[in-house]
Amino acid sequence: MLCVSAPAAERESMAAASGPWLLAVVAWVLGVAAASSSSTGQAGTNQKFNKCMPCSRRYVADSYLNTLTGQLAEHRDLTETSDSADLCKGLDYDLDAPMLSELHRRLVGEGSHRRLVYHVKFANCADAMVNFLDSYDANLVVIENLPNGVFADPFELHHFVERKVYVDVAVFGDTNLELPSALSNRSSVEIHVDLAPSASMNCNNLVIDLPLHARYPRLDANGYATVEFGSPDLLLRYRKKDVVPDSCSWLLKDLDAAPVEKAAWRIPCGDEAHIGFVSSTTFLSALVCSILIVIAALFY
Amino acid sequence: MASAAAAAAVTLPRVMLASAALRVAMLVLGEWQDAHLEVRYTDVDYLVFSDAAASVAAGGSPFARATYRYSPLLAYLLVPNSLLHPAWGKLLFSAADLLVGLFIDTILKLRGVPDSTRIWSVVAWLFNPFTFTIGTRGNCEPIVCAVILWILICLMNGASFWYGLIVHFRIYPIIYAIPFVIVLGKSYAGPAGRPILTQWTSKQHLRSDKSSPSAEGATSLLINLWNSLRSLVTRNTILFGLLSGSMFFLWTGVFFYLYGWEFLNEALLYHLSRTDPRHNFSIYFYHIYLHHQQGFSSIQKLASFLPQLIVQLALILRFSRDLPFCLFLQTVAFVAFNKVMTAQYFVWFFCLLPLILPWTTMKLKWKGLACILVWMGSQLHWLMWAYMLEFKGQNVFIPLWVAGLMFLAANIFVMLMVINHHKFTPLFSSSSVKSASKIAAKKE
Repeated sequence: MLCVSAPAAERESMAAASGPWLLAVVAWVLGVAAASSSSTGQAGTNQKFNKCMPCSRRYVADSYLNTLTGQLAEHRDLTETSDSADLCKGLDYDLDAPMLSELHRRLVGEGSHRRLVYHVKFANCADAMVNFLDSYDANLVVIENLPNGVFADPFELHHFVERKVYVDVAVFGDTNLELPSALSNRSSVEIHVDLAPSASMNCNNLVIDLPLHARYPRLDANGYATVEFGSPDLLLRYRKKDVVPDSCSWLLKDLDAAPVEKAAWRIPCGDEAHIGFVSSTTFLSALVCSILIVIAALFY
Repeated sequence: MASAAAAAAVTLPRVMLASAALRVAMLVLGEWQDAHLEVRYTDVDYLVFSDAAASVAAGGSPFARATYRYSPLLAYLLVPNSLLHPAWGKLLFSAADLLVGLFIDTILKLRGVPDSTRIWSVVAWLFNPFTFTIGTRGNCEPIVCAVILWILICLMNGASFWYGLIVHFRIYPIIYAIPFVIVLGKSYAGPAGRPILTQWTSKQHLRSDKSSPSAEGATSLLINLWNSLRSLVTRNTILFGLLSGSMFFLWTGVFFYLYGWEFLNEALLYHLSRTDPRHNFSIYFYHIYLHHQQGFSSIQKLASFLPQLIVQLALILRFSRDLPFCLFLQTVAFVAFNKVMTAQYFVWFFCLLPLILPWTTMKLKWKGLACILVWMGSQLHWLMWAYMLEFKGQNVFIPLWVAGLMFLAANIFVMLMVINHHKFTPLFSSSSVKSASKIAAKKE
């Protein structure tokens, strides 16, 4: 008896303790972020930040977003890589980098498979942009923190990279494609789009498509669960075209995306009141049908 | 006369050629649709297979691709997708699909079905809109169908090798284990040392117990039960079990060595414990969704497993000697009572349907047509509600669940119709002679 019950008790206490413990980790990381916020433009704040990161690092969001999804953070956030390193030495911050003039985001489509469509416009569009792109490789980085109940399929997005729609893309957090909301965590998407092709046409009216899918929501008597999107983070990532491989680093500039229109997604959900009659009717029908087959076999 | 002329014009080479042409056309049309329309022709799973194959080609594990739930063998088969052409797999699956047509012809020929009847059974597979689209859309089931039929063809010589392999590849044929063992257990050796197949005749005696009362059916079931149990342990069955079992464990062991627990969890254990709260044809989907937050009690698990078990046992005990018929009914029932049901599972029994057509007394007019319409109609009805839920975002869980129940009823209706119009013909002769004489003796 003892052998069986002891591990069970241990598991329970671990489960009970893990909640506050996780909260403490999140609070600690957020505290660190707040303390160094003189230079961090974290999600939701409008503070400007210019920083750099080594070219060896592919994504901006991989470290700090883990805290949002309830997973253990790597304790390595934007501040650490940018401020501490000598990387930024000799890099030109005061450059006349493009500024954002307009950003619209719409949720397009019906049902369980929809798209977030971003329309991005830059202020100094024609000449300045072309000059800038002459000497710099530049990407627009969109970071969308997806609410619980919605997910992006990393494999589907990867095909966008293959078709050169995105330069790169990554999904962080819970990337399970099948679990319902109740059994899954949040995730974030980071999309890199090349600015060069769009500069030559349409005066930088950049359109970005992000296909998303709804998970099955928690049960609710209302019949529908509403999932709301927060504001995305938009960054400009650029580096000189003639980079020295040893000291290659990207410059990051927060584009200060103003809060965009709220996007809400209504997802039908099951009703707990149905449990009794649905389960009993299901079992009963299956039983009756199986007995019919047995009778048919018996009297054949 | 006209029908006779038509039958003369329809020969196996012509049918094969026409269906090959049809598949090539579907492949080309599919490529066009993928490029031009929003709704893709290619199966979503095909992209999963292709990604997994690309991962293998790059030296990685196929399970690096999330939702890859198959044997690594499938990814190996599709490696040319990334080396030669992305449509390689579809060609392969369509070729397997054509092979199924040939195997149907072979099996029916062995069972003495005349050319004219045989060809229409082959046509029932090759021109079934469910099946020719499934291969060309890039679904792997035609391969499984081809191997299952191949096993039927070589049931004695080397069947165990293939059976072990295909259960490793796709788990569902495990439900055929008992009928295989039952058929193997009886000694059917004829004078030449090989089992004698019962030959098809156009004027077969109707079911021996058609006029007999229920008691006879019940006692014959009991006799069957006793005979089955007694005959389960023979040299043949032990050999079959040992060989197919070691074949299964060999493949599973090799891939466990190569890919570890990821392989075991995704390709094998996932399918055994799979419950999907998302909508699918299964009657259980809404029940599963309603309970997904709190989990399932063991009573609920038992309640959803019991009907499946009852039906499988009843079908095996009653029909196993008419092996193809038994496999067909088992598969329809297995799919109908399963906790997850998607359209690709229908291929599992569509490949067996042509094998029982020559022995049915059901005419296309009107009972056959009624079966087709009831089955298709209830499916379309379900699809309509599923479309409302998935693509229109409307809360139609209850109508969708009711549509699932109606589809189950349609499946049961079709099964009952098929059973009632089937001329029970044991696969091998000696036993049918024995049991016929037994029944005759009893009647006297």
